[in-house]
Amino acid sequence: MAARRTRRITGPDVSRSTVARAARIAELLQYECSILLELYREKESFTADILVDGRLVSVPPPSSQLDTRDKLWRLHSALLQCRSLLDRAIAREEEELGGGKKGDYETQRKVVKDRLSYLLISTGELLKTAGGPALLTPNLEGLEIDGPTTLFELKLWVHRIFKEVDYWTKMAITTLEALPSVIAKESMMTTRVRSTRSARR
Amino acid sequence: MVKAHFPRGLTHWIMMMIWLVLLSLFCKSTQEENSQEHGYLNCGPQNVTLLHSGQMILLWEDQPSCSAVRDVLIYELVVFRAGQQVNYDEVAVTPDQIESTHYRIWTSFLDLEGASNSVRLRSRYNNHTSPWKEQTFPGKQTLKVPEIFPKDKWFMVGSTVTFYCILPSTEAFSTMYLNTGEQPSTTKINNQTYALTVYLNRASKNTCDHVKCETKTNNNNGACVYIGYPPHYRDLQCETRDLKSVECQWTVRGDTDLPFKEPKAPQLLGSPCLMLSKGRCSQKVEKVDVGERNWTLTAQNEFGMVELSDTADLSKRVHMFAPNGVKVSTVNARSVTLQWNLAKPQYNNLNITCQVRMSFGEISIIGIGLNSTVLNDLIPNWTYNATLRCGSTQHFWKWSEWSKKVFFRTYGEVPDALDVWMHMEGNHTKIIWKMPQAKQSHGHIEHYEVTWRKTTENHNQNSTKVAFNKQSLSLSLTRTKEYIVTVTARNINGSSPPSTITIPSLNPAGHRVKTSRIIGSNGGFNFSWSASPAASCGYIVDWCPTSGNHTEDWLKLPPNETYAKVFSRNFTDGRRYSLSLYACTQGAPLLLERREGYVTEKSIKEGLFKSMKGKQQDSNFEVSWDLISLAEQTAFIQGYVLYCSDNNNSVISFSTDDPAATSLKARNLKMGFYKFTMKAQTAVGECGATFITAILNSPTDNLIGAVLIPLLTIFGLLSLTIMLCFRHWACIKQKVFPPIPKPMLTSMGEHGCHLLHVDQCHHSEVHIMDVLELQCSEETPTNGYVCKENILFVFANTPKGYYNQPQKKYPPEPLTTTTTELPSLKGLPSSPFGSVFSNPTYNLNIKPGDQLSSSFPELQERKSLQRSMDGYQPQDLTETFNINPTEEDPGKPMSCVFTYVLLPQSLSK
Repeated sequence: MAARRTRRITGPDVSRSTVARAARIAELLQYECSILLELYREKESFTADILVDGRLVSVPPPSSQLDTRDKLWRLHSALLQCRSLLDRAIAREEEELGGGKKGDYETQRKVVKDRLSYLLISTGELLKTAGGPALLTPNLEGLEIDGPTTLFELKLWVHRIFKEVDYWTKMAITTLEALPSVIAKESMMTTRVRSTRSARR
Repeated sequence: MVKAHFPRGLTHWIMMMIWLVLLSLFCKSTQEENSQEHGYLNCGPQNVTLLHSGQMILLWEDQPSCSAVRDVLIYELVVFRAGQQVNYDEVAVTPDQIESTHYRIWTSFLDLEGASNSVRLRSRYNNHTSPWKEQTFPGKQTLKVPEIFPKDKWFMVGSTVTFYCILPSTEAFSTMYLNTGEQPSTTKINNQTYALTVYLNRASKNTCDHVKCETKTNNNNGACVYIGYPPHYRDLQCETRDLKSVECQWTVRGDTDLPFKEPKAPQLLGSPCLMLSKGRCSQKVEKVDVGERNWTLTAQNEFGMVELSDTADLSKRVHMFAPNGVKVSTVNARSVTLQWNLAKPQYNNLNITCQVRMSFGEISIIGIGLNSTVLNDLIPNWTYNATLRCGSTQHFWKWSEWSKKVFFRTYGEVPDALDVWMHMEGNHTKIIWKMPQAKQSHGHIEHYEVTWRKTTENHNQNSTKVAFNKQSLSLSLTRTKEYIVTVTARNINGSSPPSTITIPSLNPAGHRVKTSRIIGSNGGFNFSWSASPAASCGYIVDWCPTSGNHTEDWLKLPPNETYAKVFSRNFTDGRRYSLSLYACTQGAPLLLERREGYVTEKSIKEGLFKSMKGKQQDSNFEVSWDLISLAEQTAFIQGYVLYCSDNNNSVISFSTDDPAATSLKARNLKMGFYKFTMKAQTAVGECGATFITAILNSPTDNLIGAVLIPLLTIFGLLSLTIMLCFRHWACIKQKVFPPIPKPMLTSMGEHGCHLLHVDQCHHSEVHIMDVLELQCSEETPTNGYVCKENILFVFANTPKGYYNQPQKKYPPEPLTTTTTELPSLKGLPSSPFGSVFSNPTYNLNIKPGDQLSSSFPELQERKSLQRSMDGYQPQDLTETFNINPTEEDPGKPMSCVFTYVLLPQSLSK
């Protein structure tokens, strides 16, 4: 009787599935973030001309020289800053602009926040697999974490934070989609090296 | 002249009172002035802003106390450069401008690039000035984006606000607007300053509104403003619940106090009032019993303040807390004792009214410090829940909330007396009673006991037990006697009180009541009647379907009631019910009235008239049908209508108002085809349609028919007879025209006499008169004819005709030829029979080729006969009838062999 072989899930397999899951979460987050931005603009009657862009998150510039671990670290760090900014934005909104009825916007804002947390867990796992630090604390230095002082500026700042989350979600998708092939190559190279070594023995 | 003299003391007292009044009036006036002064003394500038945009702009607002100012308010502005006063200005603010943002712009004398500038300002009103406020403008600071003032402010709906936009010195103004809808045009103050005055007609939704200022280079900026309402509170009402604090509540109108900020904690009589819930707060008081006073509540949010007041004597507004610790202490079958605790010890001195609510209604009880009561008239063996609430009896204000429910069950008892009635049908009397409900049985019913006796016999009593799930008993009682029947129910606690009914005796000569109709309404019957003196103990109304299964129900009413609303869940539409009214007497119930009716009459289904048939009577047509059964009558039939429609679709109708009719005649109809439709007339319209068709014929047609049919029948019969005769002509001819043999006289041989054949088919009655005795020599069974062997037939003349008699064992006797003359045949010259018998001369020559002879092929078989007849031989003795047997048709149905021999009376050789 032919027995079925069972294959143990190895390290690279775990990475691949984690990467796929993280990419899926990022895609969801990107979709949810676009809805949030739409709801916010609608709520605040904002037109494009009043809104200012510009990065709030501070990470090293991208480079082709970065290896998988560094790329993951850069992404993870940016997402961590995004979450800190988002938390602060939500708190300030509630504190200074809140008190009204809770509607679709508030619900969507929570959805985005939760989804960002899931994405952070996934990228954290990937970073750990890639040999990165187990626990990363967000670098808030130079971050406009307290935001502006007037309410109108506060609203613009909140919008910028949502845009920043949107931007880094797209970056996450791009980075994660690039990762599996790299891991596979590295995995193959590692396997080849090991087989060569065992042949020599 | 009369002078009035007042005592000196009294005069002094009056003078003193006048002075006191004047003094108090003066004090009051001074106090009012002071309070007003106190209001505006605190008035001054606030939120002072100094901006630089190629000019120096000073913006400020009035403090809230400035609202007390009733005249022009002056602001004094002093500009310093490098510590030296360089300018002094005054800005006049009219009362309608107070509480808005004010500004002043300097352009000509400032060295904006050099030393620092500062501005001091204060308000002045009625020689009172506020403290100076100073704003220093650091040098070399310019605007990068437009600045909008005021920003992040709260404005009441309905107010008019001016917003300013100050542009950077290098920018050109494009537009300025508020995102709330229609926008007025902006006002240019100078090249760098623009103003937008807006009437705020609606509240912000969910978030602040934006005032935006845009430059031609798209260097835009905005400011948030909140537009809303002050707290919209109303209907303040204050009371005490614990006799130690005052509790006030008010209503909060919708969401108009939105957006964004809940009002700050309200104040009652100027002190914080602890919020208990939305619209409710509480504050301790030293004494409750201080009489009537004003309770003033103030509440404010960013948009403004609201003040509510209520005048109340708290001792008359005691709203107690719900009693607690409710329990049942003593339980009986029909009563329990309920106990509780008052929520506050302060209530113990109050005269209290409490209300107990149970499963079956409410009761009220009063007492001081009330904490228990006895609940009476309860149902035995019944589960109750009870809850109570209390309030002060004196100056009752409000009930407390209901206490927690307490559950208890009363003890069991014997069942209540049964509701018994009777139903008589034929010789059987059915005693029926209503199944006791749970609140009547007071425990599980074990069985019922029925006893009965004749009213004339006190001791001869019969008794039987009936199972608990039955509610009737059929008795066979002597109908000529009156009986008393008693029914009791028994449970674990004993037997119920007996319920007795007298069964009336059947009196053939007794009174009968007419049955009248009753019309149903609202799913039942409204039955009313005239009061009867016989009804000493009330009335009984019983009802059941008029036909079909009898499920009887009844209702007992007191003597003073002459109306009953009869309703049953079993009532169905289109079913006839009989309602009977009985008078309850000391003896047997007396039938007073009987009614029949439908709860709702329903249209009768089609095909009502069973076995409907019609009959023409000349030009009339009568339709008849079977009697209609009650079950089929879903409505009262008021009559019948017959519609006759002919081929041309012209319809005529005939009707009858007799509901018992079973036929209806349509008169004077034309001949032709008709469709007859029969319908019943009811209150719900004509229904139950049934139809037949018929063709009406004229009487002449009928006469022709009456004549033609018999004629045709006769003709047919004759044709049949002729045909039969034709087919059997040979046989008939043989019978009727028997071949007459040539006379041949032969003597009797040694063979003796042979009786010759004769037609023995005894079914045919042939008139053979004085026929010779014949002997059948041979017989052949043929179709339908039986020739019996050795059977001698005697054709005897009988008074009624001729019949055949079998005659056996008679010795053959010589044939005797009687005369040939037959009196009866005289005068029948043309008759074949006559011809037969009128030709006795035997002079007939029959040749072999003769048709007659050919019909008798058997003749050749006959034995030669020797005829002896002296002196007379009309024919050749040897002449015989010989026919070739091969010519015989074997299939011929009848084959008779005849041999006729005329035997002389006397034979001699």
